[in-house]
Amino acid sequence: MAVLLEMKDIHKVYPNGTKANQGVNLIIHEGEIHALVGENGAGKSTLMKILFGLEAPTAGEIIYKGEKIWFQGPKDAIKKGIGMVHQHFMLVPSLTVAENIVLGDEPRSGLFNLFRDRKKAISDTQKLIDEFGLKVEPEAKVETISVGQKQRVEILKVLHHGARLIILDEPTAVLTPQETDELFDSLKVLVKQGYTIIFITHKLREVMEISDRITVLRAGKSVGTLITKETNKEEISRLMVGRDVLLRVDKAKAKPKETVLAVENLVVNNNKGSTAVNKISFQIRAGEIFGIAGVEGNGQTELIEAITGLRKVRSGRIQYLNQDLVGKSVLEIRKMGIGHIPEDRQSRGACLTASIAENLILDRYRTKEFRTGPLLNAKQIREFSRQMIKAFDIRTESEDFPVGSLSGGNIQKVVIARELSKNPKLLIASQPTRGVDIGAIEFIHREIVKKRDEGTAVLLVSAELSEVMSLSDRIGVMYNGEMVAIIDNTEELTEQEIGQYMLGVKRQEREAAI
Amino acid sequence: MKRKSSFLLDLLGIASAAIVAVLIGFIIILLVSDQPLQAMKSLLVDPISNAFNFGTVLNKATPLIFTGLALSVVFRAGVFSMGAEGQLYVGAFFGAWVATFIPGLPAAIHIPLILIFAMLGGALYGAIPGLLKAYYNANEIVSTLMLNFVATLSVSYLLNNVFKDPASGGYARMPYIQPSAKLGKFMEALPTHSGIFIAIAAAVIIYLFLYKTKGGYELRLVGENPLFAEYGGINTKKVIVLSVMISGALAGIGGVVEVIGLHGALKDQFSVGLGFDGIIIALLARNHPIGVIAAAFFYAYLQVGAQTMQMNSDVSRELAVIIQVLLVLLVSAQAIFAYLKQRVHRRKRGEANAL
Repeated sequence: MAVLLEMKDIHKVYPNGTKANQGVNLIIHEGEIHALVGENGAGKSTLMKILFGLEAPTAGEIIYKGEKIWFQGPKDAIKKGIGMVHQHFMLVPSLTVAENIVLGDEPRSGLFNLFRDRKKAISDTQKLIDEFGLKVEPEAKVETISVGQKQRVEILKVLHHGARLIILDEPTAVLTPQETDELFDSLKVLVKQGYTIIFITHKLREVMEISDRITVLRAGKSVGTLITKETNKEEISRLMVGRDVLLRVDKAKAKPKETVLAVENLVVNNNKGSTAVNKISFQIRAGEIFGIAGVEGNGQTELIEAITGLRKVRSGRIQYLNQDLVGKSVLEIRKMGIGHIPEDRQSRGACLTASIAENLILDRYRTKEFRTGPLLNAKQIREFSRQMIKAFDIRTESEDFPVGSLSGGNIQKVVIARELSKNPKLLIASQPTRGVDIGAIEFIHREIVKKRDEGTAVLLVSAELSEVMSLSDRIGVMYNGEMVAIIDNTEELTEQEIGQYMLGVKRQEREAAI
Repeated sequence: MKRKSSFLLDLLGIASAAIVAVLIGFIIILLVSDQPLQAMKSLLVDPISNAFNFGTVLNKATPLIFTGLALSVVFRAGVFSMGAEGQLYVGAFFGAWVATFIPGLPAAIHIPLILIFAMLGGALYGAIPGLLKAYYNANEIVSTLMLNFVATLSVSYLLNNVFKDPASGGYARMPYIQPSAKLGKFMEALPTHSGIFIAIAAAVIIYLFLYKTKGGYELRLVGENPLFAEYGGINTKKVIVLSVMISGALAGIGGVVEVIGLHGALKDQFSVGLGFDGIIIALLARNHPIGVIAAAFFYAYLQVGAQTMQMNSDVSRELAVIIQVLLVLLVSAQAIFAYLKQRVHRRKRGEANAL
């Protein structure tokens, strides 16, 4: 196949000294789906921002269609037929699908072309939809459509702008398995029509399924380009991490004991005051992992906040070891032996400007051990921090460094060190491996399973269905604030089956769910 | 990324901002003055050229240390209180009342009692915007600015109508304080009262509080990341109220030390914006208690230099105000400079490569 794009020896040094790219080479063939994989911080996003004109490289050159190019901004890139679908959607929620698609390039009509031609916008959109099979309703408001449909709108927008090379940045992060399948079908249609796609991801299963070739980045360098048909997951992950990694979670069968947490008919409001958690009931026993699957925003956040005391409960009960948690303060709940790994470590789980030591002692600084008279016991804090840094393999030179100077995986290790070292009877782990590199994911999964085997009851919430399925002993599925199914995690259980519950297509009978 | 190196970088940035501000001041002197060298010398050297001037620098630095500390503490807690001025008046009033109307106490009891009352007054007055913010989500900038008027005008009213010394004539003040309440000089040669030591001690105590105690840890966490503090079980509302109260207590002592150290009586309108200067001091010191001492000294130095310059040359003291304002602009603009540098850097690269 003809070479469409070549990026040669790209370097990017940010003004603060971060070397995001240090010699990346990438060759894209016309009409292929090229997967760009690598851990977080490997430089994938930076490379694509350079290609799309959002960042200027420090060194290196880009050859596109045989011509050396340099983009001053995304406008130039769009003019040349390059489009990018960002991880976070850039749509106007109050406008319709069609209006979003033609935004910035609206068809005009009437006197002096002063007026927007709404009909033409809709017909143009419909034409695109028919051509590529990306099903959305052109006249629906964007705020009313699903996440999967929003993504289609993003892709249609890029196509409308005339892109021939489309960059997709982690497109499946927010999709259910069914939506992912549909996305892949559309991508195949696009490629058949001669479009070229760069697909950024860190999910190896998807790489194997959809891509033609794969370029792996590690620590800002391209470490290899593979042909998908001739490689396997193990080889890719070895290239990504630089060593062999265990892709499967090794765990024995759970030996559940007494009930630790029992939630009964819990109702919780969201920030806007409407119902986010609707009459949810479930139980977790000591020594088992109960995983909650579901598309994000279906009440998981509110459920966790209610259990941990961060959010008021409207009605229902939360029994923890025969005590009611409803109405108790965060501090009281913490003192009862509940560990909580929050979903957002940047804002909840860690204080980025405070030191590693200061982050680690959050659950302990009140205890006698950590005090000398009116002062905090600096020696004890230092010793405890160093012990944690060692035990949880936090990569840093000193406990006095701000947490914000660590990588995402290491920040999460600080959170996990703090919450696991208190030996909780109930551990709540919300998105424990989000944005964390493969090496750290392996470590975090092992630690969670270890706690389970020690008799901790674990409540796991994750948007990654594969994570829920590989860790959990039982799985509850949340849809629209309700627990639509509670299923034992057996060999026969498939992602597709859970996916149907996640989308609200199927639900268990209420009696069976309790 | 190391704390120490970033601290040094901060220091370097602030020092260069100070130097640039003074240099711009020099340029203005060159433009307006017939005797520029004389003016520059007066501004820079005269404040330390004799004991009287130097002692005056220390006297001027004392209240600035207190208000600088007061604002550093609330800013650390993420509360943007502008209320030091009002708290200073209320604290000064409480303390001055004890200093003036309770006779017959030995100084060793009288002075601590005065300080405690001043702290109490400031803290209680600080509690009002603190509670309003924590429990009713009232914007603290608005509430503290308004309460400043309430405090200064109430104290003024009381001085003019209730506690006025009949001998004070047109210029309202309380009667002179008891002799046992007076903060004396500590060195014959210097005109400085010993309030400077109380100020330095306060800075050290606040440093220890912020960095070495449980309360300080909680206060800093609430300021740096309230969500994290809440998640850790810290009562953020309580911490917010407490921070404004500590701030008020510090401002209150700052006010009364002026009364018992410098003026000898509570005078109407005795603080000309000490509480607002404190904002600049806290900004210069990056809210660090020990840095506050240095910043207050620098600021006082500039003020005394401006006075001597006015006396000894044809440049008026308003120039010093210009330098102060430039300083604030430059220090607060540092972040903007860093951003601009990045942008220019990026653009140059892009163009060079495009050709």
